[in-house]
Amino acid sequence: MTPPAEKRTVDMQIIADWVEPHTRVLDLGCGRGELLDYLIQSKQVSALGVDLDFEKISACVRRGVPAYQGDMIACMAAFPARHFDRVICSRTVQELTAPATVIAEALRVARSVTVGFVNHAFWKNRLDLLTRGRKAQNAVYTTTWAESRPANPVSVADFEDFCATQNIRITRRVHLDGDWKYPCTMLPNLLAGYALYDLTK
Amino acid sequence: MTDEPTAHSSTPFPSTPGHLAPDDVGLVTSLDFVLPRPFTFKNSQPLDGLTLRYETYGTLNATRDNAVLICHALSGNHHAAGWHSPTDKKPGWWNNLIGPGKAVDTRRFFVICANVPGGCSGSTGPSSTNPATGEPYGLRFPALTILDMVRAQKLLLDHLGVAELHTVIGGSMGGMTALLFAIEFPNFTRRLLAMATTAREGAQAIAFNEVGRQAIMQDPGWNNGDYPPNGGPRVGLAIARMMAHITYLSDASMDRKFGRRTIQSREKSPQLSAELALSDPQLSTLNSQPAAAAADFNLQFEVESYLRHQGQTFINRFDANSYLYITRALDQFDLDHAYGSLEQAFAPVLAESLIVGFTSDWLFPPEQNRQIAQALLRAGKRTSYAELSTDLGHDSFLLESEELYALIRGFLERTPPATTADFAI
Repeated sequence: MTPPAEKRTVDMQIIADWVEPHTRVLDLGCGRGELLDYLIQSKQVSALGVDLDFEKISACVRRGVPAYQGDMIACMAAFPARHFDRVICSRTVQELTAPATVIAEALRVARSVTVGFVNHAFWKNRLDLLTRGRKAQNAVYTTTWAESRPANPVSVADFEDFCATQNIRITRRVHLDGDWKYPCTMLPNLLAGYALYDLTK
Repeated sequence: MTDEPTAHSSTPFPSTPGHLAPDDVGLVTSLDFVLPRPFTFKNSQPLDGLTLRYETYGTLNATRDNAVLICHALSGNHHAAGWHSPTDKKPGWWNNLIGPGKAVDTRRFFVICANVPGGCSGSTGPSSTNPATGEPYGLRFPALTILDMVRAQKLLLDHLGVAELHTVIGGSMGGMTALLFAIEFPNFTRRLLAMATTAREGAQAIAFNEVGRQAIMQDPGWNNGDYPPNGGPRVGLAIARMMAHITYLSDASMDRKFGRRTIQSREKSPQLSAELALSDPQLSTLNSQPAAAAADFNLQFEVESYLRHQGQTFINRFDANSYLYITRALDQFDLDHAYGSLEQAFAPVLAESLIVGFTSDWLFPPEQNRQIAQALLRAGKRTSYAELSTDLGHDSFLLESEELYALIRGFLERTPPATTADFAI
């Protein structure tokens, strides 16, 4: 398996394909601004990242990616409806305390919302728990229980159910195999390692 | 708002004079810019012969676009970096930030800092001589606003041949000045860095300013602003400074620095007690209390001694009328009101902005800095907001912090992004 650091770029390319040039993009949990930097360069977007960590904001500033340090819900609350064309929530959704609120707020401030996440129901994770009776630990979940941050793992089925009950329209979806490279065409909740959705209200 | 970085910035080798440190701008000389025509203040009052005292560090480049303007806070001045003489005890107030190889790199930038009009460090202010009367202006000095400070400094930059500002930087009142620079001279200002500041002086900040002004104006020495040089309301000004100084610190930082330590315990440490010694006879009302009260109300705690020391040093370098004028200028600062809304205020801005708040700043708290960033973003401006966790209060912006330096350096030195997509997958 390829290490997660490289896997990030798969996600990045698909998102870049979905982002229209010269649009306004907000990245929730922007980290050091790699994705937005790429989108600024490849799509000339007007970008803003949000993150909680000073060092990450500093890294964004250093590479010229505008970034806002603070809580993402409070940040979005500062903007009028449809201020952005797109909100991106890439590999952040499993760490949110109130994912429904974040997605609802994202759908208010933007026309479309891109959500990408690791499918926790991927068969290897299920097998891990079934056979070893342990928290999944692999190239994606690298840490032991004691070293891990609180997480709210999500599966393809959880997410699709959520969208259905909230009347959120899924305009695009991409499921990737366990290698995060090739499309996964069947039983995504079991076989997809990574899932990406484009949402609109 | 204090005149020194929170920790001492001098070299770790005390035997090496600070001005000889390799990353120090060294010995500097202040210069005077005399405006050859009257300067008209915002309230339409003209002033003949406005002088701005300033310093520069580094060299203006051939394209004249590497200038960085440093805007000082209420009690600051034009001496931002370097040393006036090898025997100076302290360098300029932002020496930890400005110098060859420092966060504001003088090998790269032409750094300018000017004392604001209305100030008392060489620029024309209430203590300057009114050529019409031969007396100090006193209260005949025109009412002062932050906009006047901005316009006056723009004239200086024009005089220096600056084609555009690479960056305008300021903390506290300097942050207000920087914001207004980007608003009033959008084509001239490329980057804006405002820290520990506000777009609108709030009631609490006005309240503290008012207590300071009352301390000055209730001092008989103030005499409606008419007092001789080196005279005036020294006790009132010292009390104003003592009170204001508290608002620049924090509960945690004061407790760490002083705790409940008393002067008696301090006296066992002669070096420290010498540092806090008070000798100004004109401050006698602060130093010796009426005999009946002496037993209980003389100096007891180190923090009291520290504040008296702050008050004493301040009266030797600051003019009481300047304090009144500048605090009033702060009170008047309200971008929402002046432009209709904060978004409208920022509408003309072309600069890329970085706003920095400090968690323990309770004078201009993070929330007020966040509001600036949010309004800039709503107005569609390229803006970042960073918030540094410190427990040093408002003066955190002067902090010696590698994290803060890296942020500032990153903002200043980043070249505009390449337009071609050559990102390696």
